[in-house]
Amino acid sequence: MSRDPRHDILFEPVQIGPKRLRNRFYQAPHCTSYGSDLPGAQAYLRAMKAEGGWAAINTEFCSVHPSSDSLPLVSARLWDDADIERLSLTADLAHEHDALAGVELWHGGCVVGNLESRLPARSVSQMTDESLYSQSCYELDKAGIREIQGYYASAARRAVEAGFDIVNVHGAECGAITQHFLMAKFNRRTDEYGGSIDNRARFWVETIEQVREAVGDEIALTARLCVDTLNDSPLGIRAAEEAHRFIELADPFVDFWDLQAGGWVAAEWAGDDVVASRFAGEFSHRDHIAAARAATSKPVAAVGRFTNPDTMAEAVRSGVIDIIAAARPSIADPFLPQKVEEGRYDEIRECIGCNVCASRFPQAAPIICTQNATLGEEFRRGWHPERFEPAKNADRDVLVVGAGPAGMECAMVLGKRGMRRVHLVDENAEIGGCMRHISAYPHLGEWGRLVNYRQVQLDKLDNVELVLNTRLETEDVLTYGAEIVVIATGSRWRGDGMNGPTQAPIPGAEAGNVYTPEQVSEGAEIAGEHVVVYDTDGYFTAVAMAELLMAAGKRVTMITPFPNLGPSLFLTGEAFKINRQLRAAGVEIIPSHVVLEIDGDRLSGVHAFSPDPVEWSADSVVLVTQREPSDELYRDLHSEEERFESEGIEAVYRIGDCVAPRLIADCVFDGHRLAREIDSDDPSVALPYVREVASRPRELPDLAPISATGPATPR
Amino acid sequence: MKIAVAVKQVGAFDDAPDLMPDAALVPSTSLRRTVNEWDLFALEAALELRDEHGAEVVAITVGDEEADEALRTCLAKGADRGVRVWADQMEPDPLTVARLLAEVLRGESPDLIFCGAQSSDAMHASTGTALAGLLDLSRVAVIKRLCYDVEANAVQADRELESGLVERVSVAAPALLTLQTGGNQPRHANLRAIKQAERQPLEVLGLGDIGLQADDLERAAGAHVRRLAPPDRSGRAEMIEGGPDEVAQKILEIVSSRLAP
Repeated sequence: MSRDPRHDILFEPVQIGPKRLRNRFYQAPHCTSYGSDLPGAQAYLRAMKAEGGWAAINTEFCSVHPSSDSLPLVSARLWDDADIERLSLTADLAHEHDALAGVELWHGGCVVGNLESRLPARSVSQMTDESLYSQSCYELDKAGIREIQGYYASAARRAVEAGFDIVNVHGAECGAITQHFLMAKFNRRTDEYGGSIDNRARFWVETIEQVREAVGDEIALTARLCVDTLNDSPLGIRAAEEAHRFIELADPFVDFWDLQAGGWVAAEWAGDDVVASRFAGEFSHRDHIAAARAATSKPVAAVGRFTNPDTMAEAVRSGVIDIIAAARPSIADPFLPQKVEEGRYDEIRECIGCNVCASRFPQAAPIICTQNATLGEEFRRGWHPERFEPAKNADRDVLVVGAGPAGMECAMVLGKRGMRRVHLVDENAEIGGCMRHISAYPHLGEWGRLVNYRQVQLDKLDNVELVLNTRLETEDVLTYGAEIVVIATGSRWRGDGMNGPTQAPIPGAEAGNVYTPEQVSEGAEIAGEHVVVYDTDGYFTAVAMAELLMAAGKRVTMITPFPNLGPSLFLTGEAFKINRQLRAAGVEIIPSHVVLEIDGDRLSGVHAFSPDPVEWSADSVVLVTQREPSDELYRDLHSEEERFESEGIEAVYRIGDCVAPRLIADCVFDGHRLAREIDSDDPSVALPYVREVASRPRELPDLAPISATGPATPR
Repeated sequence: MKIAVAVKQVGAFDDAPDLMPDAALVPSTSLRRTVNEWDLFALEAALELRDEHGAEVVAITVGDEEADEALRTCLAKGADRGVRVWADQMEPDPLTVARLLAEVLRGESPDLIFCGAQSSDAMHASTGTALAGLLDLSRVAVIKRLCYDVEANAVQADRELESGLVERVSVAAPALLTLQTGGNQPRHANLRAIKQAERQPLEVLGLGDIGLQADDLERAAGAHVRRLAPPDRSGRAEMIEGGPDEVAQKILEIVSSRLAP
C-alpha cells in the first residue's frame, strides 16, 4: 500500500530559523521520570522516536538551576557540566537518526518543593501553590529576576554544549515561572513586571532575549506557550488576548512557536493539557491554537494527540499549525511518522488516551504505555517496538489460552518471533478478554484500539491462528499438542466484597441484590431504583459502573474509603473532571468511609477516622473491591505435571491478570516479556535488565560548605 | 456410508492485488492461500453426520501441490482421507474442475457429495451443480442445515430463501448437496491433530489415473478468463477536504443544489 497523496504535505521539510525539520513530525517535550540522572534510558527512548521518523525529539522539562528542584517529580537538569555530559547522549543519538534534538528549559517558581536542594522557592509574587503542602515562596526582587534569567542563559549555553539543536523556553501547563509572570492569577506585582499584559510578559520576553543572546544564531529557539488556561477565571490566559499579545512581543526572538492549551498541576486546570480520551478526541484545542497562531507568521507546532494522518494533514493545510507536535502518539507508536510515510496505515499503534504514561510522572516512576510494551525498555532491556529476533526455539508450537491484553500481546510477539505455530484460543466470539467490557464502558471507546491494533497484526501473521468460541479444559490443553503452553485466562471481580481496607470479605455480599462489574456489563437486571457503588479499587471501573447505572435510570451513591474518589484517576489527570461530571449528574459521593456489612437494603460501615457506626440504604449494591486471578486452569494443569512429558509439553507459563490482577499496561507488558524471552533459560523468570545507578564516588568530597546560591559541582 | 467433500483452496487478498496489464490471473504473491469458507461448512456438515451415524469422510480437491495444505486442514479437522487431482495447464473454470472431480468420484462411489455453495475467489457457484450434472445425481443447492434419515437413506435439508423463508426439502441418497455458510460451527483442529495430519499420506492423482486425456479437459472447459482488472474509475467521486464544519457546509451545499427545483 502506498501513501495517500493527501498526506504528502506531512513530509515537507520545515525551516525553523537556522535549523530544518526534515518533515512535520515533532516529538513534543514529555516526561519520562528519567531526567538527566538516567541518561541511557533518556537517550534510547528519544532515539527510538528519531529512528521512527520524528524530525525532532525533545527532553522533558529541564530545570535550569537547583532553585527549581522538582523532586519528587523528575525533570531533566542542566545545572552543571556533569549534566551536559549526561544529556549529550540524547542529542548524539538523535543526530544519528537525522533528527534534531531539543531541550525544554524550565524554572518552576512557586510550584517546586526543592526537596533535594533545600533552597527556598522564589516566584513572581509571594504565592503558595495548591500542589504543595506547608510551604511557600518569596517574591523576587529585580536582582532576583536578573539572577533567574541568568540561570536560563547559563543552562541554554550548556544545552548548546550538550549538542542540542533546539532550545525551548518553557512557559506552559501552568507550571513555569515564565507563565506565572504572564498570568494575572500568579502575578500580583505592581512594578514594571506586573499589571498590564505588556508588563507581565516582560520577564519571559527578556528571558527569551537573553537565551537568544546566549545560544547565538545557530540554534533554533522556541517558546512553549499556554495559549489558553481553559478555565473561566478572568485571571487566566485567553488565546486572542494575553497569548496573542505575548506572541507579538516575543516573536522577533523565536524561530517557531510551540503552543498548547490547559494546565496539569492543579484542580483549576483539571489536567486539560493532557486530556484523556474519555473527554476529547484529536486536536480538541484547535480553536484556541488557531486564535493564537493568528499573531505570528512563524511556524507553529501544537499537540493534539494526533494519530490520524487525515486530521494532521487537514490541520496543516488549513493553516492552523505547521508542525505536528505529539507526545502520547509518539509514546504509543515511536514509528508513527515512518508508517504514515510508507502508507502502512493499519500498522499504526494508536494512542488510546488512557494517560497511564502521564500517571507515572506524579509517581516519579519510569514512563510506561498501555499500547507499547517496549516503551521505556529501549535501553535497559534492548527492546525495539518494530524488530523481533527469531526465537532460538522457533520450531516449537505454542498454545496461548485467553485472548485478553496479555494473551493477545504474547501471541502477537511469539508470531513475530517466528514460532512455528501459535494458537490463540478464547472462549468468546471475539478477542479482547476484559477489553470487551472495558472498551464498552461509557467514554472509553478509544481503549478498543488496544484490541484493534492486535487484531490487525494477528491477522497478518500466517503462523498465528485465532481460535474463538472454544473453551479449553485441562484435558484439552494437555492433549492439545503444543510444546509450550501459555495461560492468560485473566481475572474476575470478587463477588464476596474482599477488599483492601479490611482485607476481608464483606458479610452479606453474597445476597441477590449485590452485583459485580461483570454482571453489570453483561446486562444483569439491577433491582430497585437506588444503587450504591462501593469502590475500594480507586480507578475507572467504579466510575463506569456509576455511569452505566445512571444511564439505566438509577440513582447512584458512591462510597469509597479513599479521601477522594478514584486516587488512580488523579494520577492520570482525569479525577477532577470526573468528580465534577459525576456530581453534576447527581451522583452522591461519600469519601473516607469503609463498608463493613450489607444486610438487605442496609449497608453499615464507619468513617475512616471515627469508630461510630454509619448506615446507608440502597436497593442494590455494586462491589468494585478487588479482582482475583482466574487461574483454575493453570493450577489444574500443574496438578497434572507428571503428564507433561508424555503429552509433549515442555513448559506451562502464565501471564497477565491470571498471575496477579493489575493495570492493563502491566498485563500487556507481561505477555510481551514472556514472548521476548521465550527462548531464555527460564522464561518464567524475567531476565535482569540494565540498572542505571550511580556508582560509588571515587573521591569523597571535602567537607567545606558550598554556596547556597550557585550550583555545586562534585569534586 | 461414505461422504465426499469437494474443497477448494482459494486465494485471499491481504491487500490490493498488483495486477499485470491484461493478466488473466492474480499473481500468487498477492494471495494468501486458504480453504474456501463455504467448503469448511460443507466439511463440518459431513463430520457432524459422521459423528452421529458413522461414515468415511473423504476430502477431494483439484489443485497443485500447494493445495495439499487445504487437504491437510480437512484431515486435521477430522476427514479420514485426502485426495488431490491435478492436470498441468488446466483451465481452472468450474466445468473443467467438475469434470476432474466427477472422474475421481466415480471411483469413490460416495453416498453423499458435499460442496460449498460457492467459492470466495471466483464466485461462480456452479462447480457443485456441474458435478451433479456429470454424475447424474440429484442436487440440492444452498443448504443451511441438514439431517440424515437412516431408514429412508435420505437427507432432509433446510434451504434459506429470501425474507428468512425456510424451504425444507428431502432428497434420497446418492445426492449432491451444496452448503451455505453459517449453518454450523466449523470445528477447529488442535495442534496435535494438525501435526498428525502432516504425517498422513495424501492420495495424489493425475489425468491418467482417472482415465482422462488433456483434450477431454479442453472439451470440458467453459468460459475462458480473458482479463482481470480493477473497475474503471467513474471519476464522479469528489473528496471533500477541510475541517468538520467546512465538510458539513459543503455537503449541505451539494444536497441543497440537488434538491433545488
